[in-house]
Parts: sequence; structure tokens; C-alpha cells
Amino acid sequence: MSQLNAMSAIGSVTARALLGRRRTLLMLLVAGAPVLLGLLVRLGSGGARPRSLEPTLEGLLVTTVMPLVALVFGTAALGSELDDGTAIHILTKPIPRWAIVIPKLIVAGALTAALLVASTLLCGLFLGGTGSREIGITLAFAIAVLIGSFVYVAIFLALSAATSRGLIIGLGYSLLWEGLLAGALPGTQLLSVREYVRGIVSSLAPSGTLNSVVGSQGFIAAAVALVAITAIATWRLALHEVRSAE
Amino acid sequence: MTVAPATGAEAVAVRASAPPPPPIVLDRVSRWYGNVVAVNDITFEIGAGITGLLGPNGAGKSTLLHLLAGLLRPSSGSVLIEGRPAWHDPSIYRSIGLVPEREAVHAFLTGRQFVELAARLQGLPDPRAAAARALEIVDMTGPADRAVGGYSKGMRQRTKIAAALVHEPPILLLDEPFNGMDPRQRLHMMDLLRSMASAGRTILFSSHILEEVERLADGILVIHAGRLAASGDYREIRRLMTDRPHTFRVRSSDDRRLASAFMAEPAVFGAELRDDRLMVRVSEFSGFTRAVARVARDAGVRLHEVAPTDDSLESVFEYLVSRR
Repeated sequence: MSQLNAMSAIGSVTARALLGRRRTLLMLLVAGAPVLLGLLVRLGSGGARPRSLEPTLEGLLVTTVMPLVALVFGTAALGSELDDGTAIHILTKPIPRWAIVIPKLIVAGALTAALLVASTLLCGLFLGGTGSREIGITLAFAIAVLIGSFVYVAIFLALSAATSRGLIIGLGYSLLWEGLLAGALPGTQLLSVREYVRGIVSSLAPSGTLNSVVGSQGFIAAAVALVAITAIATWRLALHEVRSAE
Repeated sequence: MTVAPATGAEAVAVRASAPPPPPIVLDRVSRWYGNVVAVNDITFEIGAGITGLLGPNGAGKSTLLHLLAGLLRPSSGSVLIEGRPAWHDPSIYRSIGLVPEREAVHAFLTGRQFVELAARLQGLPDPRAAAARALEIVDMTGPADRAVGGYSKGMRQRTKIAAALVHEPPILLLDEPFNGMDPRQRLHMMDLLRSMASAGRTILFSSHILEEVERLADGILVIHAGRLAASGDYREIRRLMTDRPHTFRVRSSDDRRLASAFMAEPAVFGAELRDDRLMVRVSEFSGFTRAVARVARDAGVRLHEVAPTDDSLESVFEYLVSRR
């Protein structure tokens, strides 16, 4: 009970820290960009259904907006507090480190997912309309983005527990590992959240929407990654040392 | 000599009657950052009462307090809090209250919310009441419902102290606790720490101001360049600090005659004329200051100036380290 109480207190402070800053407004703009684009394309096509639903949802939301929003919230949830010293007031309490990591993951993941799922649904609606296939694709993307948000946030949270350069390394993971290396070396796709998301979409959406190396195992791959990365984040936080003032 | 192993019953009896371990024990603790040593082979034990950790800025005081608070892993040696290793064991925070030097506090929280957060994270049964009590102790009930971001440095400091006190820990670690406090708040805080110490708590606070430590602490640890320069009763350390070799600059009506007269004094071991000034090296500060006027009078010399040349705290610390 007292552990739950502590976790809810940490979650509440994390939510206020993440929501009370300019970054939330910025992230709203970032997540709103695909919606705006979808609206413009819809208006430009005179109401006819454009053919750009899947590439837009994947290229814009899965590849660009999701990692970016998750990177910002994931590193801010823990890394900012470790950097500015406010984390010391939480770290010096008799609570296991998983009880710090999990509420931060839940809050940052939920914020990321809320923005991205809303963005996916609206963008999908504007681009694809209300046909059953299009609704199916949009919902598949929304579910995949929901799960992918938590996995991405877990990665960036673990990075910020491990290093003060979590933001840069997280950006490197998203741009270099998932962007460049995954194209050149298909083996690296097994450790790519983007591939898990594609796998989830491919297993939920009408056939032929997307292909992924993890295929229909996207759910399992994402779940395993989420658990493993959360454990790594907890372990790294337990070994975290403050940077001395002297 | 060998000692026969105790039987099970004897062992239990011995354990039951064994005194509790000292609240804080450091045994040959060093901490390195790459090639830089921040804390160098420090050993001490601290019991109930107030102990001052004195040293200039950059001496390693914060590193030492972070080691004690389990926020840094010792590179070598052991740090024990109530007999348990401080590193990698969050349960020690039931026994410790830490007031860090850094001001960082979640600025959007009110003082009351900040202290209540500490109480909830400590798992206290009634966090609200505990927070109210702690805020009252540090005289912060009035502004408690304002956001911490708008507090002065002293108010923030007192709020952090309230958060550290909220679970009434037996050990309190404070890093430069008087920074930013006005004289009234400082006196109030000193009274508070004294009353907590008299209730049996172990309090260790760091400071780079000798007078602060002298007024409050029963014992002193002097740290300089990561090394323990001196430890023990503050009066003894004060004496060591005072009665170390000093060099005085003297101006008088006849420096040459005065130099000869000084050389007959037991506290003086050197005198030279340099740039029209008489520089006198003495082995004992207080012995020389008692003798200087008498020597000048007996020699018929009028004194214009007598000033120690190396009385900075830095030189005091260097001397203490060099004599160990």
C-alpha cells in the first residue's frame, strides 16, 4: 500500500513537471502537424479519398513524430530531474528503484500515447475517410502507436538513467539505428521499435498494409522489449550516482 | 591468543547485549573521479550530537556527504550507516534525512506539497500532519502554501530541512545548511539543531565558515583537498589552528633592534628584514602575541604594525594536513 502511495506521488509530480512546461505546447504542435497535413490534403482533394493514408501514417507518425515526442517526454521524465538535482529528493527515500521508474514510465508513456493516438485517429480520419478498410488501418496504427509510445519512452527513460546524454543518444538511436542502419543492415531491425510497430500494424490491419521483419510477432516483441528495458532502467537508476558539487 | 567460539546461546546473549553500531562509520574511504581524488583515505566514526564538517570550497565536503547518503559509491573502503552499507540500499533513508546544498526543488510545488511529498515517499501514516509539524519546526507555516519557485534562498533552505526532518530520522546530514539564511533564521536553525542533538540524534553538517562550526558543533572534522586534516573536539582543533607556525609582518620605529630582541624569545625562530619590513617567524601564535608588546617596550621600540601574513583559512587547512 505504501509502495502504491509512493508511486502515485511520484507519478503525480512527474505529470505536473511534464505538463507544466513549454515542452507540452511544443509537443502539441508536433503531434498536431500530421493532423493539419491530413486536413489540408483532404481539403485539397475536394473530399475524394487520397491514396496516401498508409505512407503518411507510417512516414509521418511512426517514423518521425512518435520517436520525437517519446524522446522529449521520456528523457524529461527522469533525465531532467537527474540533471537539475530535483531527483535527489526522490532518490533519498526508502523506495525501491522500480517504484520510481514505473510511475515515470506510465506518465510519460501515457502523455506520449495520448498525443499520438489522437493525432493518428484524426490524421487517419482526414486522409482515409470513414470507409471500413480505412478505419481498420487507422485503428491498427492507433493501437500500434499506443504500444510503441510506451516502448520508446522506456528506451529513452533508460538512456537518461544511464547517461546525462540521453537526449543525444536517443536521437542517435532513432535517426541512425532505426533510420540508416535498419535500411542497410536488416538484422538491426530486430532491435527497432519502429519494426515492432510495423509488425503490430501488419497483424491488425487489412492484409498488405505493411511488411515487417517481426511480422505478427510485433506484440510479443514490443512486450518483451518493454519489460526488458524497464528492468534495465531500474538497474541503471539503482547504480546512479549524483554528480558532486565539488 | 585465540578465543574459543561462543556457543549458540552465548552468541545470542552477546548479540543481545552488544552495543548498537555507531550511527556513521567511514573506514578508509576514497572516492576518485577518473584521475582526480575527491576523498582520500578517510576514516572516522560519528556518534550522537552535532559534528561540523569544515573545509574550504572544493575540499570534498559534498562528496563526503553524498558518500554518507548512499548517493555515491566509494572507490575503496566502506561507508556504514547504523552498521549497514550506505551504497545501494534505499532502506537507509528511513534513518537518514539529507539536506543537499543544491537548491533544486520542484518549483511548481508549494512548500507544503513538497514536504508532504517527502512524507508520502517515507510511507508515513499521516503525511499531512507530519508535513505540518515539520513546517512549523522550521518556521515555514506562513508561506507554506506558496509555490517554492517564489521562495527566497533561505526559505527554500528551511523547506528542504523540513522535508529532511519530516520522518524524524535519527541521522541528519546537512550540506551548507546556513547558506542564504538571515541571522535570525540562522540562530533559530542552530537552536533547532541543538535541541535535536540533545534528543539523541546524530547531526553532521558541512560548512566552510569556522565560526559557524565553532558555535554549533561538539566535534569537528576538518577536510582539505579530500583528506581529513584534523578531527575531534573543536577547542583542540582551534588550538592547533592558532598555535601553528605563523609569519608576522612588523613595522616599528627601529626594525633592526626589534629583530634582535625578538630572537631572544622562545616563540620566535626567525626574523629577517625584507623590503623595509621586519618579517618574524614564530612557532606559536598566542605566545608571540602575548610577548610582542613587552619585547618592544623593553627594547625601547615603538610598534606601528603587527600583522599575520598567512592567516587565510586555506593556509590553516594546509598546515593541518601537513602535520598529519
